[in-house]
Amino acid sequence: MDSNKHHQEPLKKYAEAIVRVGLNIRAGQRLIISNATARGVPPAGRALVHEVTKAAYAAGARYVEVIWGDEEMMRIRLQNAPADSFDEYPKFHINAVMDMIKNGDALLSVYANDPDALNGMDAERVAALQKYHLQNYAPVGVEVSRNSINWCVVASASPAWAAKVFPDLKQEDAEEKLWQAIFETTRATLPDPIAAWGDHIKNLKKRSAYLQAKKYSALHYKGLGTDFTLGLPAGHKWNAAQGLAENGVVFTANMPTEEVFTLPDRHRAEGTVAATFPLSYAGSLIEDFSVTFENGRIVKVNAKKNEALLQKLVDTDEGSSRLGEVALVPASSPIGKRGHLFYNTLFDENASCHIAIGRAYRFTLIGGEELTDEEFIAAGGNVSLNHVDFMIGSPQMDIDGVTESGEKEPVLRSGEWAFEA
Amino acid sequence: MTETEFDQLLSKYADVVVRVGLNLRKGQRLLLRGILDDAPLMRKVTESAYKAGAVYVEPVYADEQITRIRFEYADPQSLTEVPNWMLKRYEEYYERMDAELAIASGDPDLLAGIAPDLIAKNRKAVMQKFDPLRKYENTTNWCVVSTATPAWAKKVFPNLPVNEAQEKLWHEIFASCRIYEPDPVAAWQEHRTKLQKYRDYLNSQEFTALHYTAPGTDLTIGLPEKQKWQGAQADFKNGISGIPNLPTEEVFTTPHKDKVDGTVTSTMPLNYGGVLIENIRITFENGRVVKVNADKGEETLKKLIETDENACRLGEVALVPASSPISQRGILFYNTLFDENASCHIAIGNSYRDNIVGGEDMTEEEFATSGGNKSLVHTDFMIGSNQLNIDGLRADGTRTPVMCAGEWAVRV
Repeated sequence: MDSNKHHQEPLKKYAEAIVRVGLNIRAGQRLIISNATARGVPPAGRALVHEVTKAAYAAGARYVEVIWGDEEMMRIRLQNAPADSFDEYPKFHINAVMDMIKNGDALLSVYANDPDALNGMDAERVAALQKYHLQNYAPVGVEVSRNSINWCVVASASPAWAAKVFPDLKQEDAEEKLWQAIFETTRATLPDPIAAWGDHIKNLKKRSAYLQAKKYSALHYKGLGTDFTLGLPAGHKWNAAQGLAENGVVFTANMPTEEVFTLPDRHRAEGTVAATFPLSYAGSLIEDFSVTFENGRIVKVNAKKNEALLQKLVDTDEGSSRLGEVALVPASSPIGKRGHLFYNTLFDENASCHIAIGRAYRFTLIGGEELTDEEFIAAGGNVSLNHVDFMIGSPQMDIDGVTESGEKEPVLRSGEWAFEA
Repeated sequence: MTETEFDQLLSKYADVVVRVGLNLRKGQRLLLRGILDDAPLMRKVTESAYKAGAVYVEPVYADEQITRIRFEYADPQSLTEVPNWMLKRYEEYYERMDAELAIASGDPDLLAGIAPDLIAKNRKAVMQKFDPLRKYENTTNWCVVSTATPAWAKKVFPNLPVNEAQEKLWHEIFASCRIYEPDPVAAWQEHRTKLQKYRDYLNSQEFTALHYTAPGTDLTIGLPEKQKWQGAQADFKNGISGIPNLPTEEVFTTPHKDKVDGTVTSTMPLNYGGVLIENIRITFENGRVVKVNADKGEETLKKLIETDENACRLGEVALVPASSPISQRGILFYNTLFDENASCHIAIGNSYRDNIVGGEDMTEEEFATSGGNKSLVHTDFMIGSNQLNIDGLRADGTRTPVMCAGEWAVRV
């Protein structure tokens, strides 16, 4: 309702692409729109949610549910609630999402968060809030990580987020510029966004097919502050842009998306990797950090800002000290080319090569959906309450693929793809 | 008012809601329901509730536009879809005796132009889904209040720019809820005592019926033998007493569902689910509606009365003097919480169990035999004016004036 008039056209196209390409909603499906971090979509996402709702009904959705979340309420809670009360959780939110998942319905997550929402709050309280959130949210994470249903993550500009990304601009100009960045990176400004997405998905799938055929046993990273080898398990499966959900729907889980990704072997990571972007986690920013691995385990973390929070993240559970995703993105990706941070994983991960602390997606291991947790772990997969991406790519990064016979082949050079697909 | 003044008033209002309305107890959880535009009060109430010792406040926001979009864009066949988890959430709260605050400040014209049969179809599905919650009536401390949202303010003050309309509506809310009083909590205690005196008077009279006369109205409303008048305060089953409506100016009971005869004419428009119904004229025989007219929204009204078997009978009769503080403001609010406290009113549909002595423990048959009505709907409409006279009738044929020219005819 607050969106500028001249946003209306790209906003509609964006919503249409979300419904038809991202979710690929089927007639008769229900759709639930939410956001885990803010326990619902922040009200700033209202204009986009309205357009998505219209597009979903137009595509034949049977029912659209929206869960709203108020980050200010979370601050009020952190400041005023009893210290021992953080195990209280809005379970209705989980019940609503699980109800939909069990029924084969679609799930959309709309980001419009304030990257600094919980800045300055008591760290112990934030950690308690986060811990119980992860515990309660775990069943949803499990379903999403096996692609039970067609799901998608997208973003809406919001005042606080825009001010963080463009601190030197006036509020309305910052929001305007952030919307523009969202529209351009999601191809909503093109004459036919849906056709453009079709081409883009085809190109990314060629990259993943090339890597799949190579069956590398490891990747070796060399860059500023980074000298790092990451094992890939037998049966690892490279993915890009498009997935097939267990409910039979082909969908695109992130908009934008520029990455080709698989799972690392949870037991094989050696060396030190330096983050090249700040990480927004649990409402705070972790900055200028590096992580050192031995036998797949994080043995040391270093951060100029919020090191304690990073350590808490790593200490959440056993799987949080290991990796669950490795993703390749050229430094010249449309998002990388913009040359600024978004303070938001959905964008920043598509500007840069990244790895994720925590849970591996079941669909990144061939046959992974059918395995028990123990079997998945034995095959090199990681299990955790967390799945937190952080960025390690830069124009200084070289990555080699290590073949089964130990030979090295260039995969990325100076941050760019080093092979033709 | 300046931003600081407004902020202070909003804090005071939130304190009154938490301490007087809900009478929230240390250790309770609070379920907080509103629309996105209610956020300023929702946040203040959250703060106030934690300060009063709440262990957890669960905000649940709705967006009215999503509701309208559904009617405009969804397949009409799908409008009966109501998800299960909503019912489960309420059950969880009521089972645990947690508190509940609902904010009623929606756009009175939200569904203007939507086909009445679609609205009726959707509302019936929703009411059927939530019908199992009736058994939790007054189980836990609950309260309904309002905030001045842009769409509502614009409806009440159509000639003002929206920000001025909102400021003026906030002023009306604060005034009606006694927030300008030096000690709002004490002012509410005094007001409660006054309403309780009228309640006690009516309970002592044992009237068999009330006879209403006014232009366009000649109506006799029979009362159950075990009628129980209520006012201001409710005593909840979780042991807490509170004031479930802010503002409140009414004393009320249930009519006998089979003993209403004559014709009544509404004196204010009724906002029903986003549709305005104006100049209602209803004729009753033996408790049943036999004739319905309205100058505007007649079809919606007819659908409402046809919702189920007993939506054509009355479930509430409430007395409010024409000079009530809300009536004196001389504003039509298009919001039942306010308009019902400006005027005598009656409600189509369900009776409250606590309006019959022992009603909460009766079976449905016992409640019906006692005169109580059971329906999915409960919709108030206003029939009061300064031309309304009400007499109380007794079994021996004598009559006592209860209200004359819209004012209390008795001193308590």
